[in-house]
Amino acid sequence: MSDRKSTERRHASSLIVWSRGARWLASVLLIWHLVGMLVGPISTPPSILGSFLQGVYRPYLQAIYLYLDHGYKFFGPDPGPSHLVRYELVTADGQRQVGVFPDRREHWPRLLYHRHFMLSEFVQSLSGDWDPRFDEEHQPLSLPQRAYARSYANHLLAKHHAQRVTLYLVEHRIPLPEHVLRGVPLDDAQFYASRKLGTYERERP
Amino acid sequence: MSLVRDYLRDLGRGVVGGWNRFWFTPADPATLGLIRIFAGAMLFYTHLVWSLALSDFFGAESWVNAQAANLVSAPPDQVNYAWSYFWWVDSPAALWTMHLAGLAVFALLTLGLFSRVTSVLAFLITVSYVNRVPGALFGLDQINGMLAMYLTVGDCGGAFSLDRWRTRRGADGVRSPARASTSTNLAVRLIQVHMCVIYFFAAMGKLRGESWWQGDALWGSFANLEYQSFDMTWMAAWPLMMALLTQVTVYWELFFCVLVWPRLTRPLMLTLAVPVHLGIALCMGMITFGLVMLIGCLSFVSPALVRRVIGGRRAGGAGQGGRSDE
Repeated sequence: MSDRKSTERRHASSLIVWSRGARWLASVLLIWHLVGMLVGPISTPPSILGSFLQGVYRPYLQAIYLYLDHGYKFFGPDPGPSHLVRYELVTADGQRQVGVFPDRREHWPRLLYHRHFMLSEFVQSLSGDWDPRFDEEHQPLSLPQRAYARSYANHLLAKHHAQRVTLYLVEHRIPLPEHVLRGVPLDDAQFYASRKLGTYERERP
Repeated sequence: MSLVRDYLRDLGRGVVGGWNRFWFTPADPATLGLIRIFAGAMLFYTHLVWSLALSDFFGAESWVNAQAANLVSAPPDQVNYAWSYFWWVDSPAALWTMHLAGLAVFALLTLGLFSRVTSVLAFLITVSYVNRVPGALFGLDQINGMLAMYLTVGDCGGAFSLDRWRTRRGADGVRSPARASTSTNLAVRLIQVHMCVIYFFAAMGKLRGESWWQGDALWGSFANLEYQSFDMTWMAAWPLMMALLTQVTVYWELFFCVLVWPRLTRPLMLTLAVPVHLGIALCMGMITFGLVMLIGCLSFVSPALVRRVIGGRRAGGAGQGGRSDE
């Protein structure tokens, strides 16, 4: 068995065609890239080594789009509640219009729905540190959260030719198995909570 | 003392030899060619869907404006390297022209025409799209970007492509066998290693949470109305089954990076990938993400097996020797 393995190894080694110099250069680039591959994952949540490596690797990883701030933590550490954005528009003639994103009736196919879903999830993910002076519904928005809410508002105002829009971040909590076994629907009102993201006027050009 | 010296010498030789064999043994392009077809098709579809809301996401008054995007890409005092040519596009006509050009590149990549050029263009286009819309992205975009990047490294048009079809036949009317190359091996190895990193850290992230450890994390996915596409809440009556599925998912992800390499366990790990990812695809409505992960897993299928399945040929399609099986 070990004889066969060593024969295979010798055979594989004999096939290598790149010169020693080319292999050295490629190896240096490979090691650089392989370490870069780990920077995102070991930086979420923040770590001392991850923060140091981010300083070195940020230009490279951003330029080639290797996520820095996600780290492949799909549905980790725990699958949490969903977040949607509800909006109330007021047009120039005073008419009111309400909507929500994501919306399965409007956003099709599923990938497009998911793009809108990520927009609402993202604004939640930008929340700053918890401020104990306020309750959950009145937590102040972080700087990037304000920028994103303003950006979403601008888009909605332009798209619907509206004068004013109010945005709410709606949290849809996960029911327990016991709820479902008792026949409570997943979209029962008790599982929803909302928080105002702000009221925005159309910006003058 | 000499024992330690001998050990260190053997260790050094073993590491260098293993490193060289792993990265620099030429490989038949069959596996990479197959990945190119599927990844190219996924890139095409992903970007085709942007067409339905192109100005909403990439236009002058899009969901994510420059100020918001810059704030999350880089701290205010630092340079933002997340480049995108879309920041210079304002007119709808120019936007649509670039978009259609991008779709054409993805189509050519899928077909394998001018693959060396279209693979590089496809990667640059993919990065440009994702860097323009931070906030609308998810796992699909990470894997799309990763696959597009590694397709630029190897000879992705060396098999199952129009490039290959266009190669001149010999006097006997038979094409010379596909050429094994080191760059192709590098590309496939990079995808393999990257997939291992993804699964390992996906598991590590889950183990930080109570629900994955406890065994009720999958309930959080089944009972999430916004993700749900099939109603799986009947699992509420089957807590033990749910716990088993939860734990299998975590341990499969955690040990993938070890058990996918030995010949004996590789088929088991890859077979398990199918229900895990198709489960995500069908139950949670993330069909694209589930499929793109399976495309990444294809990197572990040997070129010989790919040729046997697709071409009905025996192993050893590579013309100039090279790695055709693990």
